[in-house]
Amino acid sequence: MADLNQLHDAVLNGDAKTAKAVTEQALAAGHEPLKLVQDHMMPAMSEVGRRFECNEYFVPELLLAARAMKGSLELLRPLLAAKGNEPVGRVALGTVKGDLHDIGKNLVGAMLEGGGYEVIDLGVNVTPEQFIAAIKDKKANIVAISALLTTTMPAMKTTIDALKAAGVRDQVKIIVGGAPITQTFADEIGADGFSESAAGAVSAARKVCLA
Amino acid sequence: MNFNQLVLNSPRRLALPISMSPGLALTGAKVSDIVTNSQAQLDAQAALQQRYQSPFVLGAMDLSVEAEAFGCTIAVSDSEVPTVTGRLITNQEQADKLAVPQPGDRRTGVYLEAVRLLRQLPGQPFVFAGCIGPFSLAARLVGVSEAMELTIAEPELMHTLLEKCTDFLTNYLKAFRAAGAHGVIMAEPAAGLLSPRGLSAYSSVYVKRLAAEASDEALSIVLHNCGAKLLHLPAILETGLKAYHFGAPMDIVGALGKVAPDVILCGNLDPAGVFVQSPPAETTAKTAQLLAATAGHRNFVISSGCDLPPNAPLASLDAFYAAVKTANQ
Repeated sequence: MADLNQLHDAVLNGDAKTAKAVTEQALAAGHEPLKLVQDHMMPAMSEVGRRFECNEYFVPELLLAARAMKGSLELLRPLLAAKGNEPVGRVALGTVKGDLHDIGKNLVGAMLEGGGYEVIDLGVNVTPEQFIAAIKDKKANIVAISALLTTTMPAMKTTIDALKAAGVRDQVKIIVGGAPITQTFADEIGADGFSESAAGAVSAARKVCLA
Repeated sequence: MNFNQLVLNSPRRLALPISMSPGLALTGAKVSDIVTNSQAQLDAQAALQQRYQSPFVLGAMDLSVEAEAFGCTIAVSDSEVPTVTGRLITNQEQADKLAVPQPGDRRTGVYLEAVRLLRQLPGQPFVFAGCIGPFSLAARLVGVSEAMELTIAEPELMHTLLEKCTDFLTNYLKAFRAAGAHGVIMAEPAAGLLSPRGLSAYSSVYVKRLAAEASDEALSIVLHNCGAKLLHLPAILETGLKAYHFGAPMDIVGALGKVAPDVILCGNLDPAGVFVQSPPAETTAKTAQLLAATAGHRNFVISSGCDLPPNAPLASLDAFYAAVKTANQ
């Protein structure tokens, strides 16, 4: 019999091995995949985000928790899809073209996945064409763009303009973030949302989808 | 005279923006020239020094050069300092076999030569070299995101790399001293992403060790951490260094209240927000504001919180220095 509190704690503590083992046990015992995600894993990641925001957790703890959740999700995702359980949203995530920094992007991906979103991680130095392909081929409904460098910030606008030119801008909400990014800049380039922290990316995604 | 003596004995408030790129506007060189050509560094610093009459000149801040010496691949562009790409080390066996390079290998020779050239500038300014810190270097070898996880998941691997990075950096600092550097600004940004306990174990221990071997009265080490917050300060002070340089996340006034009066703190105007995205008048106002908030602290040196981005306009640096000049009148 699987102790589902262990699943919550394994994600919270970044223990991928235990998280995967308990998930397997829970599935064997007939637990609903959706409930495992919604009742145990998402609350754990929510707590991770809270601890990160108040400096109880730092980047290593957050990334390990995300890895633990990801390992379990790999088991659960096919089952969720088979039952018609859609994720909260599909996010095409990437660091903008010209920028090779990934840590901020990875933190945002971790928090979004913990918030129930399916994250399509396009990596770093992502071209507008890659974002467009993710929208068309993988049905992303949110585009999340990261930049660390002031010199690559203009490529965010280039990406948004390319989405318009490709006729897919209206199919998605766009959120932006990164160390030099501000709400003013996000407004100027026509993004729908902005977050100044990784943990805030989840609420930013929710907000733009409700708008 | 070492850095601390220079600051504490100064009759006026000093400024130390980490600025190389704005000098390019004066010389017409590209960032790619700076990171491959010591003469281009000298020209940019000479132009800035002539413009602002600063008591300090700096070698460029390039946090890819040491990792490249270890064998990492880098991406080069005309407009940005190179970035390390990919992962050189993915397991313990590779870490065990990793050879430690020598100062002068690959482009590290450019930075050693830049110091020799900077020492020849008229007026004998205080010459700072720039280098990376041990944890930030180890993180580039193994991947920065991966390094974060490995501090908890595979500490032995990280410590193996840190031993080798510390050995290299100790020799690199000695080579800077031999080249004539008065000081080194050692950038350890990745350590600011760790918990205070992690920072202590994976950065401060190693910085303390290399400083004990490489630093003396003739070479001041200024430890830069642009990600650190006030809660990291006790762990950072475990290095025992006498000078620190912080980024915008640091509560600099709070930090000044926690260090001895002979310990120098530098910082911490947001390089993007204040020097790139603000008009000059706002740069002046924010500089003046920080100077006012730190008035009475002789051990504070106003600076940018990190190196100025390549697109920081010269007008912003003009505004910064104008505010410092006004405060000194």
